Amino acid sequence: MINDKFLLLMDRIKTSPRNNWQASVEKLGFGFHTTDVPYWDETAYYSFSLAEVEQIEKATNTLWELSLKAVQHVIDNKLYSKFHIPENYIPYIEKTWNEEHPSIYGRFDFCFKNGKIKMLEFNGDTPTSLYEAAIVQWFWLQDFDKNKDQLNSIHEKLIAYWKYLKVYLQPGKLHFTCLKETLEDLTNTEYMRDCAIQAGIETKLVFIDDIGWDEDSKQFLDLEDEPIKNIFKLYPWEWLAGEQFGTNILEHTNKVFWIEPSWKMLLSNKAILPILWELNPTCEYLLPSYFDDNGMKDYVKKPILSREGANIEMVKHYGTIQQTTGEYGQEGFVYQQLFELPDFDDNYPVIGSWIIGQEAAGIGIREANNLITDNKSRFVPHLIS
Amino acid sequence: MKKSKTIQLILITAALASCQEKKKEPEWGGGNKTYVRGDSTAPYARTHHGGMGLATAALWFYAFRPYGNYNNGTYSRAGYYSRAIPTGSNIGTNGYKGNVTRGGFGRGGYSVGS
Repeated sequence: MINDKFLLLMDRIKTSPRNNWQASVEKLGFGFHTTDVPYWDETAYYSFSLAEVEQIEKATNTLWELSLKAVQHVIDNKLYSKFHIPENYIPYIEKTWNEEHPSIYGRFDFCFKNGKIKMLEFNGDTPTSLYEAAIVQWFWLQDFDKNKDQLNSIHEKLIAYWKYLKVYLQPGKLHFTCLKETLEDLTNTEYMRDCAIQAGIETKLVFIDDIGWDEDSKQFLDLEDEPIKNIFKLYPWEWLAGEQFGTNILEHTNKVFWIEPSWKMLLSNKAILPILWELNPTCEYLLPSYFDDNGMKDYVKKPILSREGANIEMVKHYGTIQQTTGEYGQEGFVYQQLFELPDFDDNYPVIGSWIIGQEAAGIGIREANNLITDNKSRFVPHLIS
Repeated sequence: MKKSKTIQLILITAALASCQEKKKEPEWGGGNKTYVRGDSTAPYARTHHGGMGLATAALWFYAFRPYGNYNNGTYSRAGYYSRAIPTGSNIGTNGYKGNVTRGGFGRGGYSVGS
């Protein structure tokens, strides 16, 4: 346990998993609970005090506000080169920002230690672990202790915000898309579609590689040749922009609403971290971040576009203490002051705090056995003590 | 905090509870040359997968998916297509497929995972 007066409250509690827990979560449609290693882990849970969850909510709402101001700053000052944004996408990004194309969600990753919350990054375009956070951990709590509560109103807020967005969508269906070969992505996408259906929106699923482009009418089509007017995609903008069909998005005459919108390319890119710091150097939730090491002796070097903890280098006292491999880094790096994750008996939790619409909505916790949270991390439920 | 104590799921449990993780594909042996086409009016194309033949290819990658459209409320199957072969070998001169190309998205990775 951590010997710190501020951390008497947030704690990691070992517990017994439910009998046949696999069947319990599979009944919910959660099919990727175990891969080579366990992903869903209910042998422990994290507990928070009410004051702590209020602190997380406040940080989330504050950082969301600052993030939107940072986007405006990037656009006003044409800082796109720092983000490695393709030139031909810049007018489209500005258009979706100025026209307020619909956006529904994002996830801040926090380090919560010694009573302090520090933002590590923001997943603004394709955040995952939504289903685990909204549904699976909530049903775990119902079995574990119905009298307890969670920092979790993700489900209700998603339905409510889809209802709000409904009138802003183009006439026609709302399509949902993701890669077809991944159950995790499909689960997150279908869960989002479930919430949209409950909000009264007519929906349709089409896998991303089944989307057609009609050269005659300059429209995207689904497999039944139905024109796509609005589409929620669990597929990153940097991939869309770099693929064969990417330029069709720009010339598309139908003005499809892509959700998340293309301006989220700025927030899902780690180049936003130095911008946020430059604009808000006194913000208690931000870590000093730069486009070079700026003389720091303890820092984390991150590719601006990496995923799942790839190509991260952690430096302490000028020496590398941990490093991961991967295929990212060509687009450039940012350097963020090191703020090590709390250590709960060699378990290092990152708090993923969801913003739905414009509000903090709940958290999901992923923990790893080292300081870099990668694709082998585990999702651990939480409750309010 | 939770505002509601009741959560309903109307789509996802039925759709996904029966899903299984993708099974490991059988290996077909490296270096095989396979020629395929998506339409009988189209020329064959040799499949290409990073110079490793089909040994490491996922079967679903090569799968031909049904393709069709609605006309006056009736569904007509126009044929099949695969994202593993070039546009020309998918469409040929099939008028139903017209000038629609598919498979232009989706090559970015195997999972979003962020």
